[in-house]
Amino acid sequence: MTSSGKINKGNNAPEAEHKALPENYGTTEASLLPRDPNWMFIYWEITENSKKEACRLHGADIFQKGRQVIRVREVAEGDAAGKYFDIPVMHDAKSWYVNVQESGRAYCCEVGLALPDGAFVSLVRTNTVNLPAGRVSDVTDEKWMAVTADFDKLLQLSGVEYIGKGSGEVAKSLAQRWEMLRTVFSRASSWGVSSMAAPQAPQKQAEKKFWLVADCELILYGATEPDAFVTVSGRKVNLNPDGTFSMRFALPDGIVDLPIKAVSKDETDSREIDIKVTRATTTDGK
Amino acid sequence: MANKEKGYLSLVLHAHLPFIRHPEYEDFLEEDWFFEAMCETYIPLLDVYERLTAEGTDFRVTMSITPPLCNMMADPLLRERFRRYYSLRLELAEKEVVRNRNTQFLEVAKMYETKFRRIRELYEDYYHGNVLAGFKKFQDMGKLEIITCGATHGFLPLELRKEAVHAQIKLAADDYRTHFGRGPRGIWLAECAYNPGDDVYLKAQGIRYFFLETHGIIYGSPRPRYGVYAPVYCPSGVAAFGRDMESAQQVWSAETGYPGDSRYREFYRDLGYDLEYDYVKPYLHQDGVRRNIGMKYCKITGRVQLNEKAPYNPAEAREMAASHAGNFMFNRERQIEHLNHFLGKKPVVVSMYDAELYGHWWYEGVDFLEFLFKKVHHDQKTIKMVTPSEYLSLHPDNQVVQPSMSTWGDKGYNEVWLNGTNDWMYRHLHKQVERMVELANKFPTADGILKRALNQCAREVVLGMSSDWAFLMTVGTAKSYSTKRFVAHTHRFTGLYEQIMGNRIEEGYLGDIEWRDNIFPAVDYRVFSTAEAEKAAAGK
Repeated sequence: MTSSGKINKGNNAPEAEHKALPENYGTTEASLLPRDPNWMFIYWEITENSKKEACRLHGADIFQKGRQVIRVREVAEGDAAGKYFDIPVMHDAKSWYVNVQESGRAYCCEVGLALPDGAFVSLVRTNTVNLPAGRVSDVTDEKWMAVTADFDKLLQLSGVEYIGKGSGEVAKSLAQRWEMLRTVFSRASSWGVSSMAAPQAPQKQAEKKFWLVADCELILYGATEPDAFVTVSGRKVNLNPDGTFSMRFALPDGIVDLPIKAVSKDETDSREIDIKVTRATTTDGK
Repeated sequence: MANKEKGYLSLVLHAHLPFIRHPEYEDFLEEDWFFEAMCETYIPLLDVYERLTAEGTDFRVTMSITPPLCNMMADPLLRERFRRYYSLRLELAEKEVVRNRNTQFLEVAKMYETKFRRIRELYEDYYHGNVLAGFKKFQDMGKLEIITCGATHGFLPLELRKEAVHAQIKLAADDYRTHFGRGPRGIWLAECAYNPGDDVYLKAQGIRYFFLETHGIIYGSPRPRYGVYAPVYCPSGVAAFGRDMESAQQVWSAETGYPGDSRYREFYRDLGYDLEYDYVKPYLHQDGVRRNIGMKYCKITGRVQLNEKAPYNPAEAREMAASHAGNFMFNRERQIEHLNHFLGKKPVVVSMYDAELYGHWWYEGVDFLEFLFKKVHHDQKTIKMVTPSEYLSLHPDNQVVQPSMSTWGDKGYNEVWLNGTNDWMYRHLHKQVERMVELANKFPTADGILKRALNQCAREVVLGMSSDWAFLMTVGTAKSYSTKRFVAHTHRFTGLYEQIMGNRIEEGYLGDIEWRDNIFPAVDYRVFSTAEAEKAAAGK
């Protein structure tokens, strides 16, 4: 069983058969699942009883007054109140994909009502999800410091450029394989009407859909004194507590100029590094 | 001279198929996935191990044989059906040698006859229908390290309950013990999907290592000193080995990858379509629809139409596989020399592949592996092949790093198993797990029919957890079959759950489900209890 299939943009609907399962389980609950560094999936169920209870506690017109939202909370360490934002959504949607800007953090969601006076009525709360950072760690240990300069090269040797490409060529071969399996098997499942379909001529069946996609992004990283003031292309950069920083850029064709400037806290000293990156993409146009 | 090598190569093959077994049908199409993989990958690999051992060529390989695959290999019904499958192929191959005695296809026809005769010989005379005994033999010799996988290839990062994670690992380890006579030292986490912290449940089963996609290691914290070229220890002390992309690319690159060579066998020209209908009909499924039957007479040839493909030449293709193995080894030698110089220590290059890609997808892939083992053994001194266990006993000191959540799927995280085609499953799956935990906690000491019903509930839950269903929905292959399977297991679980909670278990209903879904004959439903999971997490 191969396992590196390509996500297929044209295939995004569930098989109708799933409707054979119950729509509700009769309990108010919500769950949050991690998808990748910036996306989560939430599903929920809110029973009529829970809605009545909310009306009893907060007023019969609470559902008219309040906006239906998902409140996405960053779960802060300790007791500090974390940041949050609201996604307007109909409660009847029952599931949603939640996008967050900051990867590598912990989140939980509440489905509820945002009231005009700023109050929030929570109907159900999810578990907490820890999202992966999706980049090289800022944490370095003492032993590491001696070889920091080579990490860049080590990343190249480790195949960093293949990350997130579904293991690159592997996925491509597998996708072809699955394409073949689909032509061979799916029309001919032992279950369902598909097995009644007439077989097609082998030539047609075996058409290869060959494809290639590739793109790249740019990750800039560095370190300085933790209290220094750093800008990249004139924009202020927030440093990590240990003075490291990293930024991720889209990388279009052309020249990207990234002047990096650090000024010491007492403004008596500064350092500048200028990085120019050129990208040129050519395709064979097929 | 001892210690002359500059580094290590660890070859890891992941062998897995979902549990597909339909006693309610005389003839079931999807069962062919297993039979094809038996003929093209699993038995040919055993053949290679047999030959290398007979010749005195030492080799090292690590293979996951997942619990669903173990259960299929051990199942009497599937063994019998496999016998029927290869016997029909052999019968056709023998007819074909006669039919082609004056054609340019004689050599390839003879190749299939030899191949299926050898399959029969190995299956019947060597292993008496039990290929697991074959794999165990090479494990006991120390040449093959068999590792396990989650009980049903469950996708752990999308499980909310730790009881479910524990159950997947514990059931797998117990099943492994019954087949191989000792506990598993390593595990292949399904889809290389790792969720930080799950390693404590591996440790509880005595599992010492697992594998990660490249970024699982290099996005770990703190930064890994040696990238993917040395394992790291999770805080629990379980080791994680990272995948080397360069060797993965070497095999599968579209530009320079080996399987696309024009002399290799063409996958898309199959006798199931090429032969006279009446002649081939006895070898098709009962519905009589033409499909691939796994016998193919042409080579890739080049960029030509399928009807212009040239006859396959087995000797020429085998030579090519030898040459590609030489190329692969040469590149590993250079890579390892370079890494050794750069890192200042012996690197371990971990080359991970789906086992079924060798033989099934790339027909000559098994020959390639055989040549690679031979060349590494006889022709060089730079590389030493090791299993992860051997590496860890040679180099027990490794950096402690918390690896990142990651998978080997498209885009590197969970999206393949969580998107618009399959996200509807999780609501139901999580509900089943919650109810299963409730049952296990409520009945700490069941017996009789209640115990049987609870055990069957556990089987249904784990069958529904198989990552294959979500995967097949995403790629759109067998989407209908995988949806039906998930729905069927959900219904069976819910039916039993309601009967148990209503204290009205119907023996006929239960017996029918037991007959259909007989995976894990020795399952103990208490594996889902909260107390067990907590005990495992606490290291007791």
